[in-house]
Amino acid sequence: MASVHESLYFNPMMTNGVVHANVFGVKDWVTPYKITVLMLLDEMTISTSITLLDRRRLNKLILPLLQSPDMTLSQLIKTVEDSCPQLAYTVHLRLQLMADGELKDMEHFFDMLPSPFNETESEAHKTSVVGLFMRHMVLAYNKLSFSQVYKLYTALQQYYQSYERKDSPAAEPAEDTDMELTNTEELGGKMEKEELDLEPSDDEVSTRGPLSQKQAEYFLAQQAYLLKNDENKALDPAALQKELNNMLKFNPDFAEAHYLSYLNSMRVQDIFNSTDSLLHYFDRLILPGGDSKSNGDEGCGRSLRYAALNLAALHCRFGHYQQAELALQEAIRIAQESNDHVCLQHCLSWLYLLEQMKGSDSTLTEHAVKMAVHFCLPYLASLGIQSLVQQGAVGGKTANKLMDALKDTDLLHWKHSLSELIDISIAQKTAIWRMYGKSTMALQQAQVLLSMNSLEPVNLGVQQNNSEAFAVALCHLSELHAEQGLFAAASEILKHLRERFPPHSQHAKLWMLCDQKIQFDRAMNDGKYHMADSLVVGIAALSKTEGLYRKALVLKAQNQTTEAYKVLQRLLLYCEKIKGTEMTIRVMLSLAELHWSSSCHAVALPLLLRSLAVSREYHLQYLASECILHLAFSQLMLGIPEQALNILHMAIEPILAHGALLDKGRAMLLVAKCQIVTASSEPSKQQKTQALEVAVQNLEEAGTYFTKVDCKERVRDIYYLQARLYHSLGKTAERNKCAMLFRQHNQELPSQGVPLITRL
Amino acid sequence: MAALSSQFADLVEIKKQLTVIIALCRERGLMHSVKWASELAFALDPLPMNELPPPPPFTEEDAQDLDAYSLAKSFFDLKEYDRAAYFLRGCRSQKAYFLYMYSRYLSGEKKKDDETVDSLGPLEKGQVKNESLRELRVELSKKHKARELDGFGLYLYGVVLRKLDLLKEAIDVFVEATHCLPLHWGAWLELCNLVENKEMLKSMSFPDTWMKDFFLAHIYTEMQMIEEALQKYQSLINVGFSKSTYIISQIAVAYHNIRDIDKALSMFNELREQDPYRIENMDTFSNLLYVRTMKPELSYLAHNLCDIDKYRVETCCVIGNYYSLRSQHEKAALYFQRALKLNPRCLGAWTLMGHEYMEMKNTSAAIQAYRHAIEVNKRDYRAWYGLGQTYEILKMPFYCLYYYRRAHQLRPNDSRMLVALGECYEKLNQLVEATKCYWRAYSVGDVERMALVKLAKLHEQLNESDQAAQCYVIYIKEIFECGELMEQVELSTAFRYLGQYYFKNKQYDDASICAQRCCNYNDAREEGKSLLRQISQVRGQGETSSSDLSLPFIFGPLSAKNTPVRRMSPLNLSSVTP
Repeated sequence: MASVHESLYFNPMMTNGVVHANVFGVKDWVTPYKITVLMLLDEMTISTSITLLDRRRLNKLILPLLQSPDMTLSQLIKTVEDSCPQLAYTVHLRLQLMADGELKDMEHFFDMLPSPFNETESEAHKTSVVGLFMRHMVLAYNKLSFSQVYKLYTALQQYYQSYERKDSPAAEPAEDTDMELTNTEELGGKMEKEELDLEPSDDEVSTRGPLSQKQAEYFLAQQAYLLKNDENKALDPAALQKELNNMLKFNPDFAEAHYLSYLNSMRVQDIFNSTDSLLHYFDRLILPGGDSKSNGDEGCGRSLRYAALNLAALHCRFGHYQQAELALQEAIRIAQESNDHVCLQHCLSWLYLLEQMKGSDSTLTEHAVKMAVHFCLPYLASLGIQSLVQQGAVGGKTANKLMDALKDTDLLHWKHSLSELIDISIAQKTAIWRMYGKSTMALQQAQVLLSMNSLEPVNLGVQQNNSEAFAVALCHLSELHAEQGLFAAASEILKHLRERFPPHSQHAKLWMLCDQKIQFDRAMNDGKYHMADSLVVGIAALSKTEGLYRKALVLKAQNQTTEAYKVLQRLLLYCEKIKGTEMTIRVMLSLAELHWSSSCHAVALPLLLRSLAVSREYHLQYLASECILHLAFSQLMLGIPEQALNILHMAIEPILAHGALLDKGRAMLLVAKCQIVTASSEPSKQQKTQALEVAVQNLEEAGTYFTKVDCKERVRDIYYLQARLYHSLGKTAERNKCAMLFRQHNQELPSQGVPLITRL
Repeated sequence: MAALSSQFADLVEIKKQLTVIIALCRERGLMHSVKWASELAFALDPLPMNELPPPPPFTEEDAQDLDAYSLAKSFFDLKEYDRAAYFLRGCRSQKAYFLYMYSRYLSGEKKKDDETVDSLGPLEKGQVKNESLRELRVELSKKHKARELDGFGLYLYGVVLRKLDLLKEAIDVFVEATHCLPLHWGAWLELCNLVENKEMLKSMSFPDTWMKDFFLAHIYTEMQMIEEALQKYQSLINVGFSKSTYIISQIAVAYHNIRDIDKALSMFNELREQDPYRIENMDTFSNLLYVRTMKPELSYLAHNLCDIDKYRVETCCVIGNYYSLRSQHEKAALYFQRALKLNPRCLGAWTLMGHEYMEMKNTSAAIQAYRHAIEVNKRDYRAWYGLGQTYEILKMPFYCLYYYRRAHQLRPNDSRMLVALGECYEKLNQLVEATKCYWRAYSVGDVERMALVKLAKLHEQLNESDQAAQCYVIYIKEIFECGELMEQVELSTAFRYLGQYYFKNKQYDDASICAQRCCNYNDAREEGKSLLRQISQVRGQGETSSSDLSLPFIFGPLSAKNTPVRRMSPLNLSSVTP
């Protein structure tokens, strides 16, 4: 029985075995909504009473009206009312007349429609957007068959009536009672409920209406744009998928929808659906290749290459590097076979990226960049330069060369208005400055990026991009703020990040790591090691090396020296293998600190010297000053405070200029300690007193720094030192005050850590 | 498993029931059920005059509605559904009520189909709905709640629910319908389409009648549980339905599904003898003829069917197959297109058209065709496999992996997909993965007998000589067991490798046997001889062994005499090596 009617099915129009999506040859067709829009346009040309301001508003309204999916009449009238209430009323009236009238009213309307063809003085030029729309409509209307015209008219009546019904709520209860009367059985009520249950879903469909090809294309383009630039504004994944499925159900040949569905599945990390959609898209896309016989094999082969390339990208996104590599190899092979250099360049970039992600060090040659320029691929070229710069920065190239290269790419970007790459370039500069330890410059660059207007046309209410560059810049910003003890500001930034890059999105890992690092630092400062320890797991999940390092820090703070040493040694080996210079230096410094805690200051020296040499080699100024700080401390402990003071002068300036508050405090404290020790060897009593007073001042400064970052333990120890100094200076009142403060702090804190005297 | 309902003992009773249901269905215009039941009834012995069942009871209501019913039925038969419904609107009898609702339903369906052609645009196409469905649902569910629906009414209610995509409710209603009126095949058939898997089937309760056995057999065939289906059908035949064309066709289809071509062919031939003007299932028959390249038979079938009715989907498919066999692929594609015009949801035609385009090297059109097939039925493994093949031809082994995997998922025990997967992995140089695929292909029963050789060659490449030797041994054994000596090339390579292998392992006896076997094949003769020389050299150096060499070796010593020990050796070795 079921099969009886299948033979009556719609004839697919096929040529060459391919069913064409667009059977009627028109991309658009007449719907009641569009008739109303036509009326609106007609009214606008006829009526002379519209004020200039209203007219301007209406003109701005036209494009969205033409492009958007069909609205209900109430929505439409409301939109028009906002611009010009009088016009809305006339349109309403005209529609009412037509709907309440006869079929011939509609026919008459289309006959009377001013044709942009013959009237040269008509407001709508025949090639303008409005003119094209009107021509499309007239054409589509003329193509309608007898029954279709009637169907359109009934649709129009329904369209109007549904508005009327909504408009006059008084009518509804009356209808309900009517229904009740007919349902004499007591089951009637229940039925009604079921009917009502059905209603909303039906309503939803009818309000959205079937999309015409144009509307569908616009919808897809809009959503794709939003996905790329401001994911939060796009439909949420489930709703979007529903919409797409709907679209695909009605027109399975609409390949672009598959691609959007692929992007959408990527959002929720659904590998099965995204693979399926991607492949489906390319299976469909091959169609034009077969279609254009003139191109012959070329069109088909082209999409094949890119299909493989996209598959590689997909696997790469999901972290299946081996699969990605296989797919990429395939893409490269096919591209080579057909001499497609452009595709090959793309493949090359991906290959490089893949190698990088896999952790092996490969070098993108300058040759590749030159080739990209040769094939007029500015995007790839500057992406290549940026990668080169990154390599150079990590590999210790001089800053001027890097900045020069970035400037060159910037030229390229502005020339081709590649706004995305400009963002990346600025974010990269931020990162480079930060790496060098110039926090002010980094701060400035981050601000530049954030306050820059996007080059792309600002539409759909999208102000900013949600690209990776922004995430990176914002993360740097929050870390920089946290370093300066502005924790409220930092958490504010993180909150913003969380809103803008929701946890499931691609770049969310960046801020997650940043957030945990800040929390960790705070916990460590506060002496809450157990809390820090619990954070280590989270950090390790996001970044293995960082996690290990932090683990060692916690162990060290908890005096588990042996374990800490083991972890650090392992980390050191690993970092040297992957050439993570910054981390290597940090690890060496931590190792030196471990040596201190076992009072082997002499052993620490070679380590420190080595790290100093490395950090100078790679221009890591900030880490170099840190090394000097450590060196000075070792020298102090070895009993040569004069020497320590000497080299401290080198470090103190950059630290005070760019350093984190904690480091500033540590530096000042160290200076004070050195001064105290040297003071004891001063010959005259007066000089001694003077020196001690300077030391007290420095201690005071260090104290303020430490208070700002909540370093209670350190603050307590400073009070202790100050009290001792005041004592030896004979200032009893101050001494007593400091002593009291010390006692207060001491009661609050458990005294388990290393005393301040023996640590930096 | 195949235990049938005890009611089968009384065939006369079954025949009576069938006669009754035929009349009932005919009165209600359910022609497909009438056809099925009549086909079965025809297979049983005719009843004597006095045994004929009495006509269904005629109630007062029936009498009242008789005139309206007769008029409406005539309109209904002439496909004037609205007219039929109009004259039935006031009727109270069950029969007339069913016909009333059914004509309204069919009228809606017909209008929907007409509308589809006349819709405003392609994107609106899917929006066309059967407008009457919702009204019907409301009315029927009211009746259903009041328990006023008979078996036919429940069936119609189920159909309406299914059309509204309320599948869960539909299943419940159909089950109820089978309980209420077990003899109505239509309700069972609808269930076959709705039940998705074995678990679902197990969880449902069906009336305990002889119809259930037909249903189970049918659904087993649908679910590719061919063994169970065949058992069921066999026992049904044994019980006395041996003449039923329905059962014969189902068995033939089942054999076709497990690729038992000979048996399927014989069944189809029997079917055609009994029912020479049958068109249903003939496309499957033509597939079989195609696979066996039986050109004259296929040609005869095509001409015959064309004489019967050339505008049937099956006919077009058969003609398409015929042209395809004659390598006239353009014409073949044309006929498959015609089949699709007749019924766009005809799955097989899309896939077959894909194959034709593949033959014509029109890959993009082939991909399109396969995609359409998948759209119609996601579980069509042939289309997935075809897509994989297309991309393989386009030299994209990684890309086609996905498609083969999908196909493999749908047919986990089909060696062809596994071999294809293995070949792709081999091309991608993922040898370990490839070995897994080949081994699995062999384990599930390799159709083309190529998996083992490929596996052995892979092991050779991986320098796992023990495993390679083991594979060759099993391969040789299998070939000799089945007695086909066609793949001589592979056999000679197998012997050649084994000879070298045994020689290296100093198992000179085995080595010499293999070397001698090598000499039977042209391409390996020289090597065989040189190996024999080497063996005798080595033996000459060592102590002279027994007169092994002179032992006469007739065909098949490998599989017969003292081979078990020898064959075990590589097996044992492989378990030792890491």
